[in-house]
Amino acid sequence: MYPFEGLFSLLVLSLVLETQALTPTHHLTTTDVARLQAVLSQPFTDLKSAYYSVVGLSKLGIFVADADETCRFINSNLDPSSVESLFYAAEASQALSGCEIPVTNDTRDLLLATVSEDSTASQIHQSVSALSALGLPLASQEVVSALKARISKEDNVLAIILALQTASRLSQQAELGEILEEIEDLAARLDDLGGVYLQFEEGLEATALFVSAAYSLSDHVDMEPPLKEDQVIQLVNSIFSKKSWDSLSEAFSVASAAASLSNNRFHVPVIVSAQGPAAVSHSHPFLQLQVTDVLCQPLSSASVLVESASAVASKSAILSQSRFTLHGVFELNFMASQPASGYYQFSVAITGDSRFVANHVELKVKVSTRVAINNMDLSVVDKDQSIGPKTTRVEYPTKAKASFMADSHQNFAMTFQLVDETTGVELTPHQTFVRLHNQKTGQEVVFVAEPDSKNLYKFELDTAERKTEFDSISGTYALYLMVGDATLENPILWNVADVVLKFLDEEAPGTIQAKTLYVPKPEIQHLFREPEKKPPTVVSNAFTALVLSPFLLLLILWFKLGANISNFTLSPSTILFHIGHAAMLGLMYVYWTHLNMFQTLKYLAIIGSLTFLAGNRMLAQKAVKRLTSQI
Amino acid sequence: MSNSVFSVISRFVEEYRSSTPNKLKMIDAYLLYILLTGVFQFLYCVLVGTFPFNSFLSGFISCVGSFILAVCLRIQINPQNKRDFLTVSPERAFADFLFAHTVLHLVVVNFVG
Repeated sequence: MYPFEGLFSLLVLSLVLETQALTPTHHLTTTDVARLQAVLSQPFTDLKSAYYSVVGLSKLGIFVADADETCRFINSNLDPSSVESLFYAAEASQALSGCEIPVTNDTRDLLLATVSEDSTASQIHQSVSALSALGLPLASQEVVSALKARISKEDNVLAIILALQTASRLSQQAELGEILEEIEDLAARLDDLGGVYLQFEEGLEATALFVSAAYSLSDHVDMEPPLKEDQVIQLVNSIFSKKSWDSLSEAFSVASAAASLSNNRFHVPVIVSAQGPAAVSHSHPFLQLQVTDVLCQPLSSASVLVESASAVASKSAILSQSRFTLHGVFELNFMASQPASGYYQFSVAITGDSRFVANHVELKVKVSTRVAINNMDLSVVDKDQSIGPKTTRVEYPTKAKASFMADSHQNFAMTFQLVDETTGVELTPHQTFVRLHNQKTGQEVVFVAEPDSKNLYKFELDTAERKTEFDSISGTYALYLMVGDATLENPILWNVADVVLKFLDEEAPGTIQAKTLYVPKPEIQHLFREPEKKPPTVVSNAFTALVLSPFLLLLILWFKLGANISNFTLSPSTILFHIGHAAMLGLMYVYWTHLNMFQTLKYLAIIGSLTFLAGNRMLAQKAVKRLTSQI
Repeated sequence: MSNSVFSVISRFVEEYRSSTPNKLKMIDAYLLYILLTGVFQFLYCVLVGTFPFNSFLSGFISCVGSFILAVCLRIQINPQNKRDFLTVSPERAFADFLFAHTVLHLVVVNFVG
């Protein structure tokens, strides 16, 4: 009993933890929507571009200015013998109010004849759309069977998308079940890129057309499309990541996808963005959020709720279940909860419509404040502490009247507190620097002031210890305090006092060298490796002759000893051996001048084996001769 | 003192001239030639400099190697050593000499540059 309960609660817990849904990383801003409109509003050159412009703009909710002019253009460019031309004209005229296309019996017959298994899916789509736009009757069941045949023949993505679009024009009584299943098959063909994008490898246009076709068919049959919430968001990321479009057809596809995602019966992705930076302060206490659909239209039925707001550093919850109020944008007075300055993690939920997708958003909100410096005390402390410290208090933003003197026997000390101006809470900003600036020499030395456990900032300057930073140059240094942080609205640069530092003069350098880091350095002359000095040619030649001379000596000695070739038998093996041996010696010379080891080994193997065989024979014969002569 | 040295040397030379077979004398002449060649190379290096050091090394090693191989040949051919080299006939010794020289010259030519 108990282990079963434990398992059940674990299961529930895991389901609860799983609901970290995706939120869109890419969406169209108002400028992007305006740019899309501008692209679609370009003057059109032919019927196809007129179709894209007129129908695209109508999807965005914009109607062409001079409808009559456009209607006349459509009628004059219409070619009644082409199905494609009829399609463009019919669809465009339907988007314009009061535009009529003359329909003849021939036109109707042409369109009806195109609905067959022999036409391509694109042609069927065009003829069915033209028929329905012109208000002509069509046989839905025939279309369905033609489409099914075409889908199995042309298995590419674009054809199936056009089939889906066509099916959304047919009567609801037709058997659209099989075509509806194609949505799921197509969704399986989408490529998941990094868990962020979901798109067809055919590109952006195909993905956008798929979205608009899937939703128009799903709305038509009133069945939810088999797309998970995360998939819808990934599709949003893919389609709206491109903010400038290469062609009119691409812009048209994005416009239709945006229109179908903002107005369908099942899934409406929600885009939440902060108005300006997500930061509040005492002067701007309201956190303002824009909650729109993908076309940047505000969602009227939404209600925005902060589920929890907690500080990033301490993880303590500040708010829970607070509602945003709608005054044009959704706003919440966060400063009313008196948060300390820092960053807060907001978990916001948008409710009001069951169609909302990605309606849980995580936001990081910054709370800024103003800092005040309290209890700034400056003192000169003697090192052996025989004389008590003289403490001077300075009020921000004034400067201390007297300057402070410190030589090698004394330390200069500074303590202060940084507090929030309104609440008085102690702050530890990221940057608390003490800068000493010698106005005469232009030297600048910066130190960091550290807070102790009670958040009291201390800075001590030991003159003797720090003389290297100052280059032992005595003089008057202006002391500045610099305080800065991302959450501070008023960064501080305060000239607190003047400090006269005395170093032991012997160590001061004569002139002050400005640290020139960024001047051109002396050019490095590359020293090429000098070729070794060769001895004069005369010497080399002389020694070459000297080294070769013992050979002469050898020949003379051999002659004197009586070397002869009287025993030279002219048998083939002997001749072959000597030729082979001479060839090997020649190969050595050629190796020295031309070849590399591999080639030499190759030739050596050939010549060597021949020489070996011949030599073996020759020596055997010699041995036989020797042995017979011995016996 | 020098007298006895001189007499030893002259006796040695006499013995050598009379009792050494001709074949061995020919190899000895060859050994002398190799020796002189090596000495002259070394002299050049000492006097002028080691500029193409690899060439000097390869030439010198060639001399040293040839000298050693010739000495081996002489030992193996000498009929007085026949008992030590029962399995090695003079022809076999000569064939080994040639093969070893081939390998030596391959290395030397590779290194001389």
